[in-house]
Amino acid sequence: MADEGTTVVVGGDRGIGRALVEALAARGRAVGVVPSALDLADADAVRAELAAAAGDGAMTTAVLAHLDPAGFVATPLVALDEAAWDAAAERSLRAAVVVLQQIHAVAPDGAAVVVVLPTVAGVGVPGLVPLCTAVEGIRVMAKALARRWGARRITVNTVEVELSAFLLGDDEPGAGVDLPSVPVLGSPALPAGSVAADVAGLVDLLGSADAAGLTGALLAADRGTVMLP
Amino acid sequence: MSVAVPMPAAVPSMAGRVVLVTGAAAGVGRGVTEAFGAAGAVVALGVRRPEAARDAADAVRAAGGTAMVLRCDVTDAAQSAAAIAAVVEAHGRLDALVHNAVSNRSSEPTDFESASLELWEEHASVSVRAAYRLAVQAHPHLKASGGALLLMTSPAGIEGSAPLPFYSAVKAAQRGFVRALAREWGPDGIRVNSVAPLAVSPALEHLKATDPERVARLEGLVPLGWLGDPAADIGPPSVFLCSDAARYVTGQTLVVSGGRFTGL
Repeated sequence: MADEGTTVVVGGDRGIGRALVEALAARGRAVGVVPSALDLADADAVRAELAAAAGDGAMTTAVLAHLDPAGFVATPLVALDEAAWDAAAERSLRAAVVVLQQIHAVAPDGAAVVVVLPTVAGVGVPGLVPLCTAVEGIRVMAKALARRWGARRITVNTVEVELSAFLLGDDEPGAGVDLPSVPVLGSPALPAGSVAADVAGLVDLLGSADAAGLTGALLAADRGTVMLP
Repeated sequence: MSVAVPMPAAVPSMAGRVVLVTGAAAGVGRGVTEAFGAAGAVVALGVRRPEAARDAADAVRAAGGTAMVLRCDVTDAAQSAAAIAAVVEAHGRLDALVHNAVSNRSSEPTDFESASLELWEEHASVSVRAAYRLAVQAHPHLKASGGALLLMTSPAGIEGSAPLPFYSAVKAAQRGFVRALAREWGPDGIRVNSVAPLAVSPALEHLKATDPERVARLEGLVPLGWLGDPAADIGPPSVFLCSDAARYVTGQTLVVSGGRFTGL
């Protein structure tokens, strides 16, 4: 069980973020939400929302579970104009920069930061070049921050879920229906289960003293599907 | 710098092939163009200031290739489109595009926590947006030639560098781009790969003169014992990935670091 404190989920109003909020609450966690609808490139707004979402408690765990929905609409790269490329790739990268900067400003020493991403960039998915670009950029950004923030005992780890699970329960454009399949070698090794519960368990673990020595890691909550690297 | 180290004899042939290299005036870009020259290629050097690429073009010719210098600020869509069009107009084809250019501030330590989005934009516009733009602009020509796209990424984009968090992120983004685009363009007969080099830079050359002990310490971290020469060490593997010798290789990052980085 994680230490006392609030877990704030950025992007906790949709997809895996929303499901994660429910699963964490079911585990008895105090949970706050920063909605994806917020302009996540607005540093002041993000910082204020983080502080508000933490409520009276300290934000001991912060989860970034946001990627721009435009990235999930499968489109050949040559069919993307510059605005579409920006929406599908670079907007998510900019949001990650700002959100992670503000998490660092608000989080106390010893906090846990968890970045939730879909398992697309490790293998590459045709039709989703912008999404794969953003996801790998954010994943290694998290590793660089793990190295930077260790002196404050802040851990930064990444949890990846299957592509369709990232959009779980959403009715965003492209969600769940038109997604290309991720090239993998086989079916999940483990029987199907609740992705949200799987991720909530890992978030709880990463926010606990038991995981105080784990940072810069990639954990795949995909029941043994991709198994990379 | 690069001229002092002899090129390996067995660089794969690129005779009759036409290659455009961005950021070709100095450092790794210059070294890679020289290797393409040694491979017998026609090399178009895409640079922001053509007058600064005169020596690099001469080195390509001296190595045995044909050189042309083109103005190509990769953050300017019209310039990169015009550069690609000029190459095809002059030589009738484009067999490989090597995107090597990086932000001028790429090696500058970045305080992530207080860095501005303007600085992020400097990194992203050159490494991420230009990769998308150059790929799209080159696509019809690479499809016609069965060619190759090569991005020069970095070990920082694999391991995550504490002092270079923005650089790490954009270089990692390139690797995600490469993997996905390799799958998307495989049916078009276009291969997409990247090289993650560890090489002597102009800054390191300066350091060698002023603080040789520090350079010796850096060299001590490399199992093979030296920092890569841009032409003789980084060039040939880059040529290989664009050559027929690598016709079955796509979606990969080749780490060319003397064994310094083995974690991929």
